[in-house]
Amino acid sequence: MAAARKNKRVAASQPGFLKLNPAIDHSESIIGRRKRVNKNKKKNWNKHSDIQDVEEFLDDVRLQEKATGGLVSEKPDDSLFYVDTCVREQPKNIQQGGVQKKGKRSRPLRIDLILQHDSLIPPPKDVLAYQQPNAKKQRRISKRAGELAAKGVLPRRQKQLLRQKAAAGPKVQTPANNHPERPYYDLWTESSKDTADPWYLEQTMKKLVKRPDKLNEKPSALPAVEVIAPGGSYNPEFFSHQALLLQAHEVEVKRQKEEERLERQLAFKREDTATTETRFQEQVEGLLEEEEEEEEEGPVKEGEVPMKEGEDPAQNSSAKPKAHREKKTERQRKREKAEKEKEQRRRVLQSLTGRRQQLFQLRSIRAELKTREQRTKQRQAQRRARQEAQKTMPRRLGKLKFQAPDLEVQLSDEIPGSLRSLRPEGSILKDRFKSLQKRNLIEPRERAKFKRRHKLKYVEKRAFKAIT
Amino acid sequence: MGGLQKKKYERGAATNYITRNKARKKLQLSLADFRRLCILKGVYPHEPRHKKKVNKGSTAPRTFYFIKDIRFLLHEPIVRKFREYKVFVRKLRKAYGKAEWTGVQRLRENKPGYKLDHIVKERYPTFIDALRDVDDALSMCFLFSTFARTGKCHVQTIQLCRRLSVEWMNYVVTSRSLKKVFLSIKGIYYQAEVLGQPITWLIPYQFAHNHPTDVDYRVMATFTELYTTLLGFVNFRLYQSLNLVYPPKLDVKAEADLKADFEEDYAMDSESYLEKLAALSASLARVVSRAEDEDAELDHFPTEGEDPETLEAREKQLRAQDAQKKLFEGLKFFLNREAPREPLAFVLRCFGAEVVDRPNADQQYINRYYIQPQWVFDCINAKLLLPVVDYFPGVTLPPHLSPFVEEKDGDYVPPEKLRLMALQRGERPERRAEDEDDEEEDEDDDEDDDDEEEGEEEEEMDDEELTDEKNLKAMEKQRSQGKALAVKVTAGKAKTENKMRTEQEEKAEEKRLAIMMMKKREKYLYDKIMFGKKRKVREANKLAAKRKAHEDASKADKKKKKAKKQ
Repeated sequence: MAAARKNKRVAASQPGFLKLNPAIDHSESIIGRRKRVNKNKKKNWNKHSDIQDVEEFLDDVRLQEKATGGLVSEKPDDSLFYVDTCVREQPKNIQQGGVQKKGKRSRPLRIDLILQHDSLIPPPKDVLAYQQPNAKKQRRISKRAGELAAKGVLPRRQKQLLRQKAAAGPKVQTPANNHPERPYYDLWTESSKDTADPWYLEQTMKKLVKRPDKLNEKPSALPAVEVIAPGGSYNPEFFSHQALLLQAHEVEVKRQKEEERLERQLAFKREDTATTETRFQEQVEGLLEEEEEEEEEGPVKEGEVPMKEGEDPAQNSSAKPKAHREKKTERQRKREKAEKEKEQRRRVLQSLTGRRQQLFQLRSIRAELKTREQRTKQRQAQRRARQEAQKTMPRRLGKLKFQAPDLEVQLSDEIPGSLRSLRPEGSILKDRFKSLQKRNLIEPRERAKFKRRHKLKYVEKRAFKAIT
Repeated sequence: MGGLQKKKYERGAATNYITRNKARKKLQLSLADFRRLCILKGVYPHEPRHKKKVNKGSTAPRTFYFIKDIRFLLHEPIVRKFREYKVFVRKLRKAYGKAEWTGVQRLRENKPGYKLDHIVKERYPTFIDALRDVDDALSMCFLFSTFARTGKCHVQTIQLCRRLSVEWMNYVVTSRSLKKVFLSIKGIYYQAEVLGQPITWLIPYQFAHNHPTDVDYRVMATFTELYTTLLGFVNFRLYQSLNLVYPPKLDVKAEADLKADFEEDYAMDSESYLEKLAALSASLARVVSRAEDEDAELDHFPTEGEDPETLEAREKQLRAQDAQKKLFEGLKFFLNREAPREPLAFVLRCFGAEVVDRPNADQQYINRYYIQPQWVFDCINAKLLLPVVDYFPGVTLPPHLSPFVEEKDGDYVPPEKLRLMALQRGERPERRAEDEDDEEEDEDDDEDDDDEEEGEEEEEMDDEELTDEKNLKAMEKQRSQGKALAVKVTAGKAKTENKMRTEQEEKAEEKRLAIMMMKKREKYLYDKIMFGKKRKVREANKLAAKRKAHEDASKADKKKKKAKKQ
């Protein structure tokens, strides 16, 4: 820098140097006022040495560079001057106001002009854009990696990744369970026996926990597919059809009875109907108030007195025993004790005689024992039978009870003459579903009802209002 | 006295049970997932004997589970999958909400899935266990396979169910194990005997059925999920046992025959193949093509300590079974368009018949019998070929009896069944004993009538106003009935009767003496039993008398009508 500056200074001192700004030239005025200072301190050098001329010169150089893109003195003449060949014309346009205005408008805005880049010096290069940090190192590393790759040695990081991937196993997309082309294999062939400790296998999830035997029992003794009664044939035999009809009829009668019972319970009672009397009383209600009150007052006044009397004896009776409880005399106690002992003795004697008497009743006792045994046996059998019957019954497994589906029945006139005109009864899907419930495999459930969280609000829209 | 105070509900029944909600919380699952898990693992709720004790003094109805069962569920790996799925759904919803489509796609690609194989293995440790429980699976799969693909359940589930049910039908056809069929108003009940296990299943008719609203489809879908897995494995094993290729392939010869020109009607190749399999008209490919072992006689190893009588009886039974398996062998059936094809083809092929689809009934052949489809089902249940006369088109059909009813002695047996039993014994019973002469005359009339009716039907066919079912079947082979059976002579019987009578008398005498020797109490019981039996017989007799009266009345009615007609 310093060297360049020096060069410029030298150039400026030359007699042929042209200054762009001729106004700056104070060299003489400064010379007169000179100050004496110690020159043995660097601080003073900086403070008191006169560099005005140099500054000015450099300013000028910068200005030249900015304005013309270099020193004017170094420029060839062609670039500084030109030969004016056109005829000078006195501009008439100035007088015409309209045109002037138009030109004014087309001029760019001042703000844009200010912001315009007007220096002719090209901006300095961005060094970082061309330089790479650690380029040398990087180059070295890549070179080495290339050499290793050529030899077939993978970097550690990549090796680690590969190892991880291998450990995770190949990613197998399990096909959907219900895929129509899914393969099957022989599930029940004997697989190789595991020799390892079963506990170890279970803990490491290599073997599933043994299924409890109890789970393999069926919760109901009913068969999976219950065949319909012979009356349900599409072309049934007369009597079996009648039997089925009767069965359906009984179900229907039962249901109807239930309905009737409900209706009866909810029916309007005859006692609650209005008679002329009650109607009259209702009409008169409130009008006869005074009389009634008077009437009522009479007996109440009379009643009050006995009430008070009645209360008194109760209080007395509760109080009296406390007051009247007296100590028993010695004699009384003795007598009571003697009585007690006598009673006890009597009872012992009685039981003894009774037992002695039983010797003669052996026969009847035996008979009684026999009957009792028989009764227990009977009860046992009954209980067993009931338990057996319970095995085929649907159990109560939840909030709702199992409801048997409607019997599938075709009336006598609905029976088709042939297979073609048969109209199937009921739905097999429902039959299967009910069968699952009946066999206690699933609990009976109702479809969840839609419940509105918030109440609906009625709002009359304006548009709607206008129409009506 | 010492000791700690015993607290209530800390021992006994109360500690053995857990309420559903608590179990759910313990497993950290939503109610739907909990229900799913319970169904898949076969953990069912249990009703405690003393509800109040278990419910800690409250009598509110609750669903209880055994606490040990729930503890067992804690070990199930699927629980984790359920939780993963929950997270997956949450992430997916979030991605959708933010409209991050790449995220949605990535999530969908990594959708967590689970398998039920280990659960099937755990619940059914042996193949026979699985086979015992296959009834439910079959009914459910057949039902789901008839569903319309309308979004009530997953389309893939329906396709899988269809595939599995077709596989099962093909197995039953190939192994010829069908035993009973019952056409009910609900659906068709089938019973087959597979590896000694009677297996019953129910198939709906092929009509569009309505979807009931009070059925929980989610629960049913869960059951189906388990059952499809189960049925698939069972099918595999069964195919293996018959030396068949699984998944089923048609025979090479049959495949060449079936190369139809309607291939492009089906969107997918697999679908068209499934349809070919479902037609049931061709045999399946085997792993080792069998050549000579077709009619190989079974070797007999008489075990010691077995009296020859039982052996003979068993042999006879075996022979009868074999005969039943070949019931329709050699017969050719032409199915009319209105006849339900799938059940008929299935049933016919199960007994070795040849099935031909007939485009239309334009002309009638003399060497063919034209009968209604009930004949096929009745024949199967009766285990013999019934006379075709009762099943001609236009004839009032004999009732279709349920083969699932087994009458004990003394029960009322309908006359049709009696007749059938007589036929099975090899006798030729008169159709109606009292008025045989009448019948013969009638028969001629009936036949005339039939012809007329049929003629009408032919005309009406185009208008699609058929009033009566008509199914066409032809038997190329003349069945041996009529003459051969009519020759029977009863001369030899007189002798045996005498022998039998003496035997019977002896037996009766023995019985009388035994009764006399009875103790008083036993006698009382015996009398009671006998009284019950007599009452039953009396009731049966009453019913029979009623039936006769009913029939007489209806016959009289018919005659009147006929007279009017003429």
